[in-house]
Amino acid sequence: MKMKVAWAALAVLAVTATGCGSGSDSGEGSGKTTITFWDNNGGARTPIYQELIKRFEAANPTIHVEYVGVPIASVQQKYDTAVAGGDTPDVGGVTTSYLANLTGQQALEPADEWLAKSGVNGKLATPMLDSVRKTVPDGKLYLVPNTSNMDVVWYLKDKLQQAPATWDEFFTDADRLTKKPDQYGYTIRGGAGSIFQILAEMYSYSGIGEFFDASGKSTVNDPKNAEFLGRMAGLYKKDTPEADVTNDFPKMVAAFGTGKIAMMHHNLGSYNDHVKAHGKDKIGAFALPTGPGGKRTVVANPVDGFAVFKSSEHKDAAWKFVEFLVSRDGNSYWNQQTGQIPANTDAQGDSWVQGLDHLKTAVDTLNDPSTQVVSPPYYLPQFSSITKADTEPLFQKVLLGQMKPQEFLDTLAQKLTDAQAEWKKANGG
Amino acid sequence: MTTMRRRAVPYLLISPTVALIAAFLVYPIGSVAYYSLQHRNLTRPWADGFAGLDNFRHMLFEDEVFWHSLGFTAKWVIAEIGLQLLLGLALALIVNESFIGRGLARSLVFSPWAVSGVLTTGIWILLYTPGTGVLRFLGQPEAAVLGNPDTVFPAVVVAELWRGVPFFAILLLAGLQGIPGELYEAAAVDGAGRLRRFRHVTLPHLRDAIVLATLLRGVWEFNNVDLLYTLTGGGPAQVTTTLPLYVAQRAVDSKDFGYGSALTMAGFVILLFCSVLYLRLSRFGEDR
Repeated sequence: MKMKVAWAALAVLAVTATGCGSGSDSGEGSGKTTITFWDNNGGARTPIYQELIKRFEAANPTIHVEYVGVPIASVQQKYDTAVAGGDTPDVGGVTTSYLANLTGQQALEPADEWLAKSGVNGKLATPMLDSVRKTVPDGKLYLVPNTSNMDVVWYLKDKLQQAPATWDEFFTDADRLTKKPDQYGYTIRGGAGSIFQILAEMYSYSGIGEFFDASGKSTVNDPKNAEFLGRMAGLYKKDTPEADVTNDFPKMVAAFGTGKIAMMHHNLGSYNDHVKAHGKDKIGAFALPTGPGGKRTVVANPVDGFAVFKSSEHKDAAWKFVEFLVSRDGNSYWNQQTGQIPANTDAQGDSWVQGLDHLKTAVDTLNDPSTQVVSPPYYLPQFSSITKADTEPLFQKVLLGQMKPQEFLDTLAQKLTDAQAEWKKANGG
Repeated sequence: MTTMRRRAVPYLLISPTVALIAAFLVYPIGSVAYYSLQHRNLTRPWADGFAGLDNFRHMLFEDEVFWHSLGFTAKWVIAEIGLQLLLGLALALIVNESFIGRGLARSLVFSPWAVSGVLTTGIWILLYTPGTGVLRFLGQPEAAVLGNPDTVFPAVVVAELWRGVPFFAILLLAGLQGIPGELYEAAAVDGAGRLRRFRHVTLPHLRDAIVLATLLRGVWEFNNVDLLYTLTGGGPAQVTTTLPLYVAQRAVDSKDFGYGSALTMAGFVILLFCSVLYLRLSRFGEDR
C-alpha cells in the first residue's frame, strides 16, 4: 500500500515537473505551435490579455498562447532567473526600465527585420521607438512599444476645484486642503518606487533638460532640485499622513482611496483604481506643475512593450503575436482598458482617447511643442538598482529629517555619474 | 571477495545520505563561498571576475549598513528569544496545571503557530494600518507605528512574539510533562515551596528543552526574512534591516551576487560560531 502511494506521489511530481518546463513545445498531436507569453504586470491586466489571446487564436488557429501573469514587483527577478536558467518565455512584456539589463545578458532578439516587413511598420509612435532604441548601445529595436505613460497628479474634484498650474500653487493647495486630524492635502510615495516620482517632480520644478551635463556629470544634485526636495520633504507629516514614509504603490493608492487625501502623484496607470474607489466623475488629473522658470518639463516614463526572446524555438509565431498586440485593434483595446497612451498612431486617433480627460491631458502635454522631455538613463543597467535598492532608504532618511536633501542628491548624483562613466567605458564611448 | 563486499556494505548504506548532504549542503555552501571571492553583478557584467578578499574588505571596513544590520540582528534575536522564552515558559506552566477547559486553552495557546507566516504578517499589517487599525482604540488613529523609527522596533517585536511564543510553549510543555510527579511530592515533603520546586526540580529538567528551543529559534530569528520583509521591508530608512534582509537587498534587488555571497558567508560564520559556543556552554545532552 505504502509503495503504491509513493509511486503515485512520484508520478504526480513527474507530471508537475514536466508542466513547469518550457512551454514552447509543440502541442501534441494537434499540429499547433504553443508559445509562452509572460505578462510583466499580471493581475488586473490578466483579463485584457485573455481577451486578446482569444482573438489572436481565433485569427491564427495554428498557434496556442500560454499566458503567465507575473506580478510587476518580481518581474525583473523572474526574468533574470529565467535567463540564467535558460528557461525564458517566447514572448514577454518588457519595459525600457529593465531592457538594458536583459539585452546585456543577450536574452532578446531584435525585431527590426520583422518590423520592416510588417503591416504595423510606420504605425508606431516615433518618440516611443526612439526611446527604445536609445536604451541599448547598438540602437536595435529589442522591444516593440505597446504603450507609454506620463506622470500626473490625481485629485479629488470635491476637494480641489482648480488644478494648480505652478508648484507654488501646488504647495499652497496642499497646505490649504490639510485639515487635522485626518484630512491631508497630499501623499508622498516614500516606499518602493519613490525615486522615480521625486525625480519627475524635481525636474519639472527645476526645468533642467538633461540628466547629464556635457562632461557626463549628473544634474540631479542641481541646487534647484535640492530646493524642491527640501520643500517637498517639508510637507511630510505636515500636510501628508505619517505612514507615507513607507508608502509603496498599493499602500499609496489604498490611502488615496479612503478619500482623506486630496492629491496624489502617480501615472496614468492607476486610473482604474481611482475610478473603482471614487467613481469616474470625482477624479481629475493634471500634469506635474511648472517651476519658477515656467517651462513645462516632463521626465519620460519607461516605454512598455513586447520582446521576443532569443532562446525561443518559435520566434516567427512569437513575432506574429507581438504584431497582433501592437496592431490598431489590439493596441487600441489594450490601452482603452488600461487608460494609457497607445503606441499605435492609428489607435491614438480613436475616439475613446479624446473622451478620457486624463488621457487627453497627457497626450496634449506630450504633443505640445513647448514641452521639454527629459530622458532618464534607462540604458544604464545599474539605473534600476541605483534608483531602488541603493537610494530608496536614503530618501526615507530625508523624509524623516535624518539626511539633508542636498546630501541625498549628491549621493544619488555620484552613483549616476559613476555608472554613466563606467557604461561609456564598457561600450567604447 | 566476501570480505570486500562486507567492507563495502556500510559505505553503500551511508552513500544516499552522503549524496544528499553533498547535493544540498556542501555544493550550495561551496558555491556561496566561491562567489564571495568573485565580482559577480548582473548589472555590471563587464566588471565580473576574481575579486580576492575585496568583497570582505568592503563589507568590514566601508559598508556602514552591514554593521548596522548586524547590530540590529543581535538586538532582534536577543529581544525575541528572551521574551519568547519567558512568555513561552509562563504559558507552558499555566497549561500544564489541571483546570477546567485545559484542552481548549492548550489549543488556543498553540494556534498562532499553525498560522502561515504570510497570513501572520497580513494580520499585523491590518492591525497596524493607520485609520482602521488597532491604534484607534489607543486614541492615536493616524499614528503609523511601522513608519516611525521610534515605534517600529516594538511593533515588529510584538508581531513576531505572537507567532514565536507558542513554539516555546509547545516544547517546554512536552518537557514539563516528562518530569516525574514523585519528584515534586518528594520536594514538597522536604518542605520546598513552589518557587524552590520550580528552581530545583522544574528548571533542571527543562534544561535540554530550553537549550534546544533557544538554539533553534535563535537561528530562525537570525534568518527571519518573511515577517520583517513584508511588514517593513527593512525600513523605514533601514532601521529594521537584519543581515539576511540586507543580503536579499544586495543579491536579489541590486543583483550583486558576489557581494551578497560575502554577506551570506559572514552570516554563516556567525551562526556557526554562536551555535557551537552555545552548545558547549550549555553542555547540551550531557547527563550530569
